[in-house]
Amino acid sequence: MTSYILKRLGAMLVTLWLIVTLTFFLMHSVPGSPFNEERTTNEAIQKNLEAYFHLDEPLYVQYGIYMKSLVTFDFGPSIKRSSDSVNAMLERGFPISFELGFITLVTAIVSGLFLGIIAALRHNGFVDYLAMTIAVLGISIPNFVLATLLIQQLAVTYEIFPAATWQSPMHMVLPTLALATGPMAIIARLTRASMLEVLTQDYIRTAKAKGLSPVKIVFKHALRNAMLPVVTVLGTLAASILTGTFVIEKIFAIPGMGRYFVESISNRDYPVIMGTTVFYSAILIIMLFLVDIAYGLLDPRIKLHKKEGR
Amino acid sequence: MKKLSMLLLIIMVFALAACTANENAGTEKKEGEDKNSKKEKILYLNNESEPTSFDPVIGYDIKSWDPLNNLMEGLTRLGKDNKPEGAMAEDWKVSDDGKTYTFNLRKDAKWSNGDDVTAGDFVFAWKRLLNAETGSGAAFLGYFIEGGEAYNTGEGTADDVKVKAVDEKTFEVTLTSPQAYFLSVITNPAFFPVNEKVATENPQWFAEADSFVGNGPFNLTEWVHDSHFVMKKNDTYWDKKSVKLDQVNWAIIDDRNTAYQMFQKNELDVSAIPPDLSEQLMKDDKVKIDDQAGLYFYRFNVTMEPFQNKNIRKAFALAVDQAQLVDYVVKNEHKPAYGYVSNGFEDPSGKDFRETNGDLIKTDVKQAKELLEKGLKEEGYEKLPEVTLTYSTLDTHQKIAEAMQQMFKDNLGVEVKLASVEANVFATDQKALKYQFARSSFIADYADPINFVENFQTGHPNNRTGWGNKEYDQLIKDAKNEKDEAKRYELMYKAEKFLMEEAPFVPIHFYNQVSLFGEGVTDIVRHPVGYMELKWADKN
Repeated sequence: MTSYILKRLGAMLVTLWLIVTLTFFLMHSVPGSPFNEERTTNEAIQKNLEAYFHLDEPLYVQYGIYMKSLVTFDFGPSIKRSSDSVNAMLERGFPISFELGFITLVTAIVSGLFLGIIAALRHNGFVDYLAMTIAVLGISIPNFVLATLLIQQLAVTYEIFPAATWQSPMHMVLPTLALATGPMAIIARLTRASMLEVLTQDYIRTAKAKGLSPVKIVFKHALRNAMLPVVTVLGTLAASILTGTFVIEKIFAIPGMGRYFVESISNRDYPVIMGTTVFYSAILIIMLFLVDIAYGLLDPRIKLHKKEGR
Repeated sequence: MKKLSMLLLIIMVFALAACTANENAGTEKKEGEDKNSKKEKILYLNNESEPTSFDPVIGYDIKSWDPLNNLMEGLTRLGKDNKPEGAMAEDWKVSDDGKTYTFNLRKDAKWSNGDDVTAGDFVFAWKRLLNAETGSGAAFLGYFIEGGEAYNTGEGTADDVKVKAVDEKTFEVTLTSPQAYFLSVITNPAFFPVNEKVATENPQWFAEADSFVGNGPFNLTEWVHDSHFVMKKNDTYWDKKSVKLDQVNWAIIDDRNTAYQMFQKNELDVSAIPPDLSEQLMKDDKVKIDDQAGLYFYRFNVTMEPFQNKNIRKAFALAVDQAQLVDYVVKNEHKPAYGYVSNGFEDPSGKDFRETNGDLIKTDVKQAKELLEKGLKEEGYEKLPEVTLTYSTLDTHQKIAEAMQQMFKDNLGVEVKLASVEANVFATDQKALKYQFARSSFIADYADPINFVENFQTGHPNNRTGWGNKEYDQLIKDAKNEKDEAKRYELMYKAEKFLMEEAPFVPIHFYNQVSLFGEGVTDIVRHPVGYMELKWADKN
């Protein structure tokens, strides 16, 4: 197990390095510049700015400088907001995005699993159709439409919740609802499909024959197996939700990380593009790693270590 | 079992709302607190995005300078009539040649930390603006000052910049040429003083509310980056009796639909109009429209065929129906532009520049057709070379571009291609003259028509058309050196006529500032050139 983890860690670092390198060169190959506004600064000023951010050096030198500071976890200063560093932006934005993402994930997983399970248990019954109708709606309605609808109805017309910004738990309700519906629907459908498959298997019949209670059969025997596909999607889902979602954060004016991903690219704010990409990739890689570990825990037949497998 | 699952389902349907509802405890208290302090006048505004920087010379954009204009103050400030009034300076003297200004600072001009605002603070700040290492995009505004341009471009030193602290409260500046509008130029935040003592101790003094030291009507008391910031009335401000608001809360909400929804809930006092709702909301009596000195236009590239030909350029310009674009496409109550300089600049006789110089390029389909024929003949074209109209990716730009495409087809019989380009790439390529015919905009930096007409001098960074003319350059140069205001305006009238006759661009519309104002909100002043003033604002 330990050697497996070490091996994986090594592979993760290589993956991350590849992502950093690719992003770095791709980003610089896109035309445009961070100092590019309708109002033109004169050449002298432009040159000074470029020198300050090492943008006048050859690309490989810039790459070297960047990798050197990256090793010390220093993402550098933002070009657009010169008094702000990328580290500070991440430290500020991530906890908020994480908070929203975490509540959303819990909501989505709990409700998704429930919908999926009861749909599977009442296969082709009314409950099944109802649950799947909700799931299909959840998948087909884009979250920005849902968000606007929620604000218009629950905030403006009925004044139950605040319309936007991120201050109190009350402010968290609408964005969580808007953000959780999509993942909930995905999880519900996956759970239903794999539950249906698992429920017809022999070992479930055996369990039934042994006289186990339905609750025990569902939660102890069926769900554990049925969870595998759900866990698979959870890795990528968690990484993208936890690091902020541009659209929802924009609509609800939540000061999370989401905006940095998008704005940095249109601003050609190179250090911010790199910082957010590295950060997101690191989280994604870690999540995928956790998913692999979780496989082993859920299903003893999946062996993480080759020798144990043989 | 059936009942159980039915129950579970019902629970699930309400689960989302139910889970989160538990977290609501404790919020009401906060709202209660706000109500207790209702006696205080708190204005709720939206800045739409995080200020780039509250360093006066770095935050060279509306989102930084709108708030900063209320946190700090220069030698002069624009009054309600858009004319400069004494601010940090109580009065001033101008030398006979019109080049040297001597400002007497107010004795009670104080920083928010209690320090005196001194002439040295202005010397420090203005030299900092011009120091190339500061990297200020606004540095060119300091080129009016003798030695300013040389210092900024590395050809001179800081000592050559003609700004001087005669004594603690007397500040002297010498200009390169007499510029009557200099008093209005220095209302610009780039010319705000900087507390030298504070800035030397902490070069990042402007980055957080705790360390921010201002000298304006309000004081920065809280700043949560990317979320909101708070200003409170500044008790050390010399004119604090004019300030009526106790506090201004600025939210940072970049989605205009959301901001409008918050405005409907009275969570905001002022809101922009979401583009999709402009048609219905423009008729609302809460709408307030103010002029903004700026132009939306299309640049020809005169180094590319067929626009090297003046008559072909003019044909295209005359084929555009600005009134239609403004009324039926943009629908934002803009004024259609038939000239270059926007409305709102008065010449010495008190007449409006735009009205005096009249409509210089006005839609005329018949003449457009004739000019196109003439141009084609002159160039020996049998058929007009292919024309592509390029704009940066945005809904409104696209709508205007498509309408223009139709106008060229209907009015000239020319099929024009459209190309939408990502904004940053667009800006780069336009500067490199890679487009034939491309969208553009200009917002004036200081309140004088010269700020418009100077842009089309040969090789000026804002020219971006490849067009240049010695006679025109001379007119601008003469205007800049003319001390007599009447003569100076004559030269500018002439320059604008000359420019529009050459037509290196097609004017589309002048800009305006449109907002919804909540009930009881009064006296928020928005100048055609300048930044938002809350000094006199009130909320009842």
